[in-house]
Amino acid sequence: MKDFLTGNEAVAWAARLSRARYIPNYPISPQTEIIETLAQWHADGQLEADFCPMDSEHSVMSAAIGASATGVRVFTASSSQGIELMHEMLYIAAGLRLPIVMVNCSRGLSAPITLLCDHNDYLGMRDTGWIMVNTQNNQEALDSTIMAFKISENKDVLLPSVVNLDGYVLSYTMEPTIVPEQGVVDRFLPSYRPTHAFFDPKQPMVQGIAVLDGVNYTHFRKQVHKAQLNAKRVMEKVCSDWRKTTGRHYGMIEKYEMEDAEMAIVTQGSVSTTAKAEVQEMRRKGMKIGLLRLRVMRPLPKEEIRNALKDMKGVAVVDKNLAPGLGGIAHSEIRDCLYDIEEQPIMSSFVMGLGGKPEEMKQFAQIIDMLKKDMIDKRGRVRFV
Amino acid sequence: MYNEIKALRDIPEEDFLIGGSPTCSGCPAELGLKMALKALGKNTIVVNSSGCMSLLCNYPYTPLKVSWIHCAIENAAATATGIARAMRLLKREATVICYAGDGSTYDIGIGSLSGMAARGDPIIYICYNNQAYANTGNQWDTATPFLANTKTTPPGKQSKGNLIPHKNMIKIMGAHGIYAASASPAYPLDYMNKLRKAQAMNIPAYIEYLSPCVPGWGYDQEKGIKVAKLATESCFWPLYEIENNKITINYKPTQMRSVKEFIQLQDRFRHLSDYDINVIQGLVTTDWKELLEAETCKKT
Repeated sequence: MKDFLTGNEAVAWAARLSRARYIPNYPISPQTEIIETLAQWHADGQLEADFCPMDSEHSVMSAAIGASATGVRVFTASSSQGIELMHEMLYIAAGLRLPIVMVNCSRGLSAPITLLCDHNDYLGMRDTGWIMVNTQNNQEALDSTIMAFKISENKDVLLPSVVNLDGYVLSYTMEPTIVPEQGVVDRFLPSYRPTHAFFDPKQPMVQGIAVLDGVNYTHFRKQVHKAQLNAKRVMEKVCSDWRKTTGRHYGMIEKYEMEDAEMAIVTQGSVSTTAKAEVQEMRRKGMKIGLLRLRVMRPLPKEEIRNALKDMKGVAVVDKNLAPGLGGIAHSEIRDCLYDIEEQPIMSSFVMGLGGKPEEMKQFAQIIDMLKKDMIDKRGRVRFV
Repeated sequence: MYNEIKALRDIPEEDFLIGGSPTCSGCPAELGLKMALKALGKNTIVVNSSGCMSLLCNYPYTPLKVSWIHCAIENAAATATGIARAMRLLKREATVICYAGDGSTYDIGIGSLSGMAARGDPIIYICYNNQAYANTGNQWDTATPFLANTKTTPPGKQSKGNLIPHKNMIKIMGAHGIYAASASPAYPLDYMNKLRKAQAMNIPAYIEYLSPCVPGWGYDQEKGIKVAKLATESCFWPLYEIENNKITINYKPTQMRSVKEFIQLQDRFRHLSDYDINVIQGLVTTDWKELLEAETCKKT
């Protein structure tokens, strides 16, 4: 079925088609339409799930952990301050190895309080152990949410996933979106039958045990690290299965006009489409410019990033986020991927679109001009654009 | 209607919390969980909030023969909601209980607990109340009694200890329209029958179990039950229940003991003068009279 859907409606469809059985929820802009859509389906008897309004985002993630630890498939959605309030529980969800799937509609963090989009909420999850996918359009948000269940529930992964879509820019913007048939999703995504974490009085199980020695604690933390590394292989397989099922393909990174590029722009999320349009313009003018979109933040696809950028002379990493005193978050992560090559490109950080600051095509041409200056100076800089 | 335990000899023999746990010797909180599991049976899932009892399950050991999850300090009630809902989806029968300290219940987790009560899930929330943050070494919380010495309300030249009167969580929870009750290790049948009653009612229940704390309250470790008994005999810790917003007092001492008898067994009140103890006695007597009146009115 092809329809005009907002990003919120698209991921609500993904949760419904994935047959998530427990949906704890709490409203927050710009995510609220996801749970409102699910609530209406539930009220109309079209959603086979326990739709469970909670008292806070912290309680949402706590209930999600309780239900996932019992053995059912769990979906939820949040944004911004909500992600911050549940932050404590994000680590616990990953540490307990619970394949919860959450959608985050990115929104800048307070203070000052704002409603509009940037990625600091999503990127605050970097070290929690969650699988992290950032999408550039509503179709990708829908597809990524369904795939996230399959990746998270894989026995070599067993980690929660967050699928990010940009607040308002995608969440409340309608785009033509293909909604797969239920049968197609059922064949792609088998039901969740955990053997590692569940509650059944016939087989008592302790979860969340205290580990009060560093040796064993390190062992458990290392298991999460290994699961993240495994997720890369699993993700590639799941994406390949999805392509066979639907014809739509997603990689860990997306390379655009990178074949003979000498300079690259790195982006995440919906601004990538704006940047690609300007890359086309610059290509038309004969400039050898490409774009790398970082779709997956965790596990960070280090090899792919290095291979894509190792022959560049200059790289402009555009970050819709800010690590105060440092610059863009992806900038330092991507620079890390290129540490062990001999001729490193000049790499500058461009902090852009904070709190919904407008992002226009022409700004990417200006970014490239600034990058060229940095290349002449042989020195990367941090700039706000 | 529930299967009442009529005498001590009728308490089930089978234990689901066995020996070898790392709690303090004479800890009434561990006893409270042991009795709860005896009363509720093996089909019980325990949701624990961070606190003393989190150390029961210490990798790679557990003294429990039932399922257990420890999540965080403020969210046992929300975690239990997820478990109860998922068990229903999976068509598996179990009694879901929370076993949480007073700090996590009165203070940091009150939102989560209130939400649980409002949603109506049949979860039995047991607060083992040792009247302070005991696991971190006895700091003040809103369950701490007036004038008690804690590490964050120490008596000194300009202070007599905790100057903030404690909350009444039983009434707060009773006002949610759920089953709420107080309990004590010195009255095991009362406690276990309240648990069985809650289990049979199949609605949210809040049971607050007074849990004297050997190091926190500062009494001899063999005297936990005696201290708890004096708390009730002096009406410092009355036994009552709230059902459909109606209060019933479960035990009325024929001869009310003085609060001083209860207080003088404990180091946390050692700094108080007779005058100070009389102030506490006045508060306790007033609360008890109010409770008696509330029972007569049949309204909270």
